[in-house]
Amino acid sequence: MRIPRPGPARVLASAVAGVLLLAGCSGGSGTGSADGSKPVAGGTLTYAVDTEPVSWDPHVSTQDLTAELQRQVFDSLVSEDAGGKFHPWLATSWEVAPDLKSFTFHLRTDVKFHDGTPFDAAAVKANFDHIVAKETKSQYAANLLGSYTGTTVVDPATARVEFAQPSAPFLQAASTTYLGFYSPKALAADAAKLGQGGAVDVGTGPFKFVSYSKGQEAVFAKNADYNWAPGTAEHTGPAHLDKFVVRFLPDASVRVGALSSGQVQVVKAVPPQSVAGLQADSRLKLVSQAAPGGNYNLWLNGSLAPLNDQKVRQAIQRGIDLDLDVKTVQFGQFPRAWSPISATTPGYNKALEGSWPYDRALSDRLLDEAGWTGRDGDGYRTKDGKRLTLVWPQLTANATQQSRDILGQAFQADLKKIGVEVQRPALDVGAYSTLVYGGKANIVDLAWARFEPDVLWLFLNSASDPAKGGINATFLPDKQLDDWTNQARATLDAEQRGKLYKQVQSRAIDLATVIPVYTPYALTGLSSNVGGLSFDSDTWLNFYDAWRTP
Amino acid sequence: MTAFRIGPAAAALPSRGPALLRAALRRLAGAVAVLFGAATLAFTALRLIPGDPVSVLLGPSTTTSPEVRDEIRRQLGFDRPVLAQYLHFLGRLLHGDLGQSYQLQRPVADLVAEQLAPTLQLVAAAVLLALLVAIASAVASAGRPPALRALTGAWELVAVSTPSYWLGLVLLTVFSFHLRLFPVAGADGFGSLVLPAVTLALPLAGTLAQVLREGLEAALAQPFAVTVRARGRGRTALVLRHALRHAAVPLVTLTGWLTGSLLGGTVLVESVFGRPGVGALVLGAVNSRDVPVVIGVVLLSALAFVLISAAVDLLYTVLDPRLGNR
Repeated sequence: MRIPRPGPARVLASAVAGVLLLAGCSGGSGTGSADGSKPVAGGTLTYAVDTEPVSWDPHVSTQDLTAELQRQVFDSLVSEDAGGKFHPWLATSWEVAPDLKSFTFHLRTDVKFHDGTPFDAAAVKANFDHIVAKETKSQYAANLLGSYTGTTVVDPATARVEFAQPSAPFLQAASTTYLGFYSPKALAADAAKLGQGGAVDVGTGPFKFVSYSKGQEAVFAKNADYNWAPGTAEHTGPAHLDKFVVRFLPDASVRVGALSSGQVQVVKAVPPQSVAGLQADSRLKLVSQAAPGGNYNLWLNGSLAPLNDQKVRQAIQRGIDLDLDVKTVQFGQFPRAWSPISATTPGYNKALEGSWPYDRALSDRLLDEAGWTGRDGDGYRTKDGKRLTLVWPQLTANATQQSRDILGQAFQADLKKIGVEVQRPALDVGAYSTLVYGGKANIVDLAWARFEPDVLWLFLNSASDPAKGGINATFLPDKQLDDWTNQARATLDAEQRGKLYKQVQSRAIDLATVIPVYTPYALTGLSSNVGGLSFDSDTWLNFYDAWRTP
Repeated sequence: MTAFRIGPAAAALPSRGPALLRAALRRLAGAVAVLFGAATLAFTALRLIPGDPVSVLLGPSTTTSPEVRDEIRRQLGFDRPVLAQYLHFLGRLLHGDLGQSYQLQRPVADLVAEQLAPTLQLVAAAVLLALLVAIASAVASAGRPPALRALTGAWELVAVSTPSYWLGLVLLTVFSFHLRLFPVAGADGFGSLVLPAVTLALPLAGTLAQVLREGLEAALAQPFAVTVRARGRGRTALVLRHALRHAAVPLVTLTGWLTGSLLGGTVLVESVFGRPGVGALVLGAVNSRDVPVVIGVVLLSALAFVLISAAVDLLYTVLDPRLGNR
């Protein structure tokens, strides 16, 4: 049964039709064939990363690194290019119901898992059902499936995925590793071991997961049968590399040293202060791409005094010299942000740029108007004898990530100038979660990457209540924000969605529940003998097209 | 047969069997008590930290639904009274079952066993190297002119006060990044063991050398030193054959203690060199309150201390037979 295509879906279908033409030139801002050299078959590439997956199961984990590394093992139904267009992958085409509550995928029939099992509609159903089963204990993928109600196996090559609510963001979700496919055999036999990594993780991807030794390395080997590359890839057939090894090197200077001495060929998370040195070395190159989705933002808790007063929130928003602070601390590598989402995210509101500059005089005036006119011995403002104090907890486990602790000190110094005290208690995860998700902190800092403006729903819709597993740390229900983020989920019309999301961004800035700080960039260093390596739209490296010359 | 040795040690020989058995039993009972106490302490400490254990386990960045949280709570038994959890945990432990990691989906025994080997290699190499360096430094300088002693004292002080994290980075920069003699990361083969072992050994060697020289000089000041020299033996023979034996008792005690504490304390060095190990395992487990893993490692450390202290006691009697008669 085919569902008639509505207008918006037709836009999508034409994008699908044009995919073969696009295939050669899409796929993020990669290095491409930078040296003009041709791809070389064979060889091993070693990739040094800064953290280590806690769980290797993309159906369970929220970790970006799990999704990035397992991308080599697990394929998705569709792939999305840097322009936000969808291309065929394991699905050759698809139709979307007019109410956006069901998506019908027509699947390739020549795809086999690493264990020889064919990929079909039953595998789609088994995987999606596995993700939402509470025994799986999914921390993110289940959220991406939203109001999923089930998958109907129409025939072996046709799967219909159904939802209770309109689900426009689903196609993007379906393009991520989080909704990638395990062999149904692996799901049945090893469901309790998928997070261990290694050979139990059986997918359809261009690499097989050979082995994982914790604290040391993960090894992936080429899947010689691979012949179902996504429309966004630069070649077809098996991967160029024979082997792909991941090393875990938490120390940034060690990663950079390992790269410059040729012991690894690619390193993740080059620290901003090392960028200049790396660029000066002719044997190395740097590729960078802005992370999509939520920037590194401060979220102000509008339900708790003193930030329940919009004037105070605005005073804080305008009282931090973000241009100077971000530039100094991040060595000019991460640009300061003007919107809660990054400029590379579809629906970004460019009009916000420059619209709320640093204005200390305005902040002082706003605080005076809000009644914080007294001053105590330390120079902080007071009202009715109480000091104007904000609590912004930091999590000890990742306080130093991207120098955010130092940036926080700069903000403290700025806010002190307008008479606001900022306290930064250092807490472990337990105390932090209790305080922050219980709505007892004034400020929360949070970044959330996803190549989809629907992250604004996560941040700002009142249904995304932290008490219910959400991350809306503004604790300020707002009817307009709710309506707009819900409406944007119910349309595939890019223009309409863009309009709604732009309104959402402006409203969040006007309400001053958010202070966008900077857009994190994926800074990746590579040896000049590596070619074809590119970022996908989520800033995850794609090793399928990569090669290495001796 | 004539006894090789005359004295109380030889006279005590006939009663040695039962006494040895009694001592072994006493030690075994002590070991069990230590393990039980360590496990209980670790369990209690982890439960006393405030915060919802499920939230801690999931970490701060998650969109986990309340239903899934309840499922985790039920599966891990957090919904039961603490005393019931404790008894359940103890019962499992008595059956030799360390349980399953909450996060890594693997049996704790496997995890610990897998991470223990690289740590043991590193610790053994570092302690051996530290002992060699310490003995060389102390023997060469004990009872020597003040200038030489000041020189060795200076290097020891520098070695003791250098943070191993920094030392590791310096060694890496010179020997791995520039000279390319050793690989930066991993635990495969001898080459990858050299730099981390040196990093760990130098501060240890500094401490051990200071203690050993102190002991050597005390021994050299005793009357027997003069007797030995009067018999015509050289200084080196005096120090190596006689004084060293006297000074070795505090050295052995300290080495045993350092070895035990190194088992969990190598995490910084392991992290610089990208080596697997027990330290990194337990650090991650403590941060996420992965109770079975933490307790597994705590039990391992307790066991290591028990074994090391038994070995040290045994060594005492070899080094100084008088101690065997207590």
